[in-house]
Amino acid sequence: MDGNLYHNRKAQWAAYILIFVLLALVPFIFDNPFTLNQFSRYIIFSLTAVSVSLVWGHGGILSLGQGIAFGMGAYGMGATMQMQFQDPVNDPIPTFMLTNELEKLPLVWEPFWSTPIGLSLAIGVPTLFFFIFGYMMFQARVAGVFVAIMTLAMLAAWYSVVYDMQPFTAGFNGISPPSPFEIFGTQIDPYSSTAYWVCVAFLVILTLGTKFLLHTKFGLIVQAMRDDPERARFLGYNVAYYQTVLFTLSGFIAACAGILWVMVTQYVSPTSMEIMLSISMVIWAAVGGRTSLLGAIIGAFLINLGQSYAGDEFQKHWLIMLGVVFVIVVLFLPKGLTGLFESILGKFSGNNKGAKQKA
Amino acid sequence: MAILELKEVTKTYNDFSVVKGFNLSVSKGELRCLIGPNGAGKTTSLDLITGRQKLTSGTVHFDGKNITKLLEREIAVLGVGRKFQVPAVFKELTVRENFEVSYTERIGPFQNMNPFTKKHSRKHFNEIIELAALGDRLDTVAGLLSHGETQWLEIGMVLMQKPRLLLLDEPTSGMTEQETEKTSEIFKELKGEHTLVVVEHDMSFVRSIADVISVMHQGNMLAEGALSEIEQHPKVKEVYLGTEGIN
Repeated sequence: MDGNLYHNRKAQWAAYILIFVLLALVPFIFDNPFTLNQFSRYIIFSLTAVSVSLVWGHGGILSLGQGIAFGMGAYGMGATMQMQFQDPVNDPIPTFMLTNELEKLPLVWEPFWSTPIGLSLAIGVPTLFFFIFGYMMFQARVAGVFVAIMTLAMLAAWYSVVYDMQPFTAGFNGISPPSPFEIFGTQIDPYSSTAYWVCVAFLVILTLGTKFLLHTKFGLIVQAMRDDPERARFLGYNVAYYQTVLFTLSGFIAACAGILWVMVTQYVSPTSMEIMLSISMVIWAAVGGRTSLLGAIIGAFLINLGQSYAGDEFQKHWLIMLGVVFVIVVLFLPKGLTGLFESILGKFSGNNKGAKQKA
Repeated sequence: MAILELKEVTKTYNDFSVVKGFNLSVSKGELRCLIGPNGAGKTTSLDLITGRQKLTSGTVHFDGKNITKLLEREIAVLGVGRKFQVPAVFKELTVRENFEVSYTERIGPFQNMNPFTKKHSRKHFNEIIELAALGDRLDTVAGLLSHGETQWLEIGMVLMQKPRLLLLDEPTSGMTEQETEKTSEIFKELKGEHTLVVVEHDMSFVRSIADVISVMHQGNMLAEGALSEIEQHPKVKEVYLGTEGIN
């Protein structure tokens, strides 16, 4: 057996548990609501990085369109929260629609009167969209950089749609639901530790679920397809089907992140579908280490923490710095920070064989 | 009874026929060698059988079933395994994982999400490890194997599929003499239970394994028969073997 502690399954699970426990303890360390809200946002970004690690790091599908699912989830949640505030009798139409001269609630908004239906749509629609979009791409054997181009183009298209459909989406201004999200009769204050823990719970469940899935044969097969889809096809696997399932799962995770985002910010605008955000998700995963879910989480956390606390001097040049970091990672650390960690652990256990190739 | 039957198979690119009117019939349990000069259409024929390329005309039957229009994966599931000319293995996975992926009893994504499906392959797995002599390399990443080991890994992977028909494209290229010898022993063990079609250039290897040899030339069958008949065939000598024959 390989002596490197990094490859030890038990050690891996222990590292995940340790990080999750530390994250769950954050509210006991900072009781400043603003800081806590910041941390909630990092957790949500980590979740998007997990979706990228799943689809790109493990499946070899470079999706620059994770923002589609994130944004759809966010708009679904925004609509649900907005309708929680509206009154069916006295005030059935959101203000932004009135200013856009809509006289009755559009049909697509009707289902959001109900919170359970609204939430189901917020998760279900992006997941279904990723299934259909993925099926079309992978059935046609689109691969490599062409997947990146197609997902990016689709993201840009959706951005224009939400931007232009002002009466339905409030366009550039976005929707800001006046009151926090309410579920089971209680409001979740975006600045509370409850909101934070909801985010952590989502991160823990979705990450561990994904890790568990990657340890099944399904996980092994998708990684094999990342290496050589042609080989997998000649073994009898339906590569397009596997890739579609993987892509759909990543869309599901990104949609969950979108929902949490609006819970924590009480605001949704076309920025959730901006190209920069989706590319950032890929950079977070790349810097942390795309072949490790935990690496992606750490990458998202560190970069966002850096961005918030690097100080005003750095703030101006933040994008340039991020670009430099990304280039360094691509050139010298193809497996990101976790890859670095892996080789260090490998040196200590005196067995570096295969450390560069294998997670 | 013929397990593989090609009838009037033709593949044309623009106006150029790579394979034209090719007929081939391989019976169950046979080990057939397919030889011929470069560009004779050997690899293309394998591509046409496995669905990698589509026929311009003609038919391919496997075990009585017409597989001419099926997809690669459908043909693979029916029991046709293929080893490629340039060894194709999953380079970032370990040898063990390569074998696990190649065990294709369950083919769908949701069946394979069951955490207990991995264990079913154990017995078959051990047999193949022994055959491929990769027992001490199981935890090595496949990208780090030597060329000969990679060839055996791919042969082992194809066997993990439990195919009834194996199509092997230059299985001994890049192997040392000892490795080639070992490979010919493996193949002799396999024939009978499996049917093998081997494309090969190494004539001493062909000599040691072949029952029947088919010689291709310019997309068509030039000659077919036992080793001695092929050696004496004047046209084969001219286009392929050279005047000295097989040595």
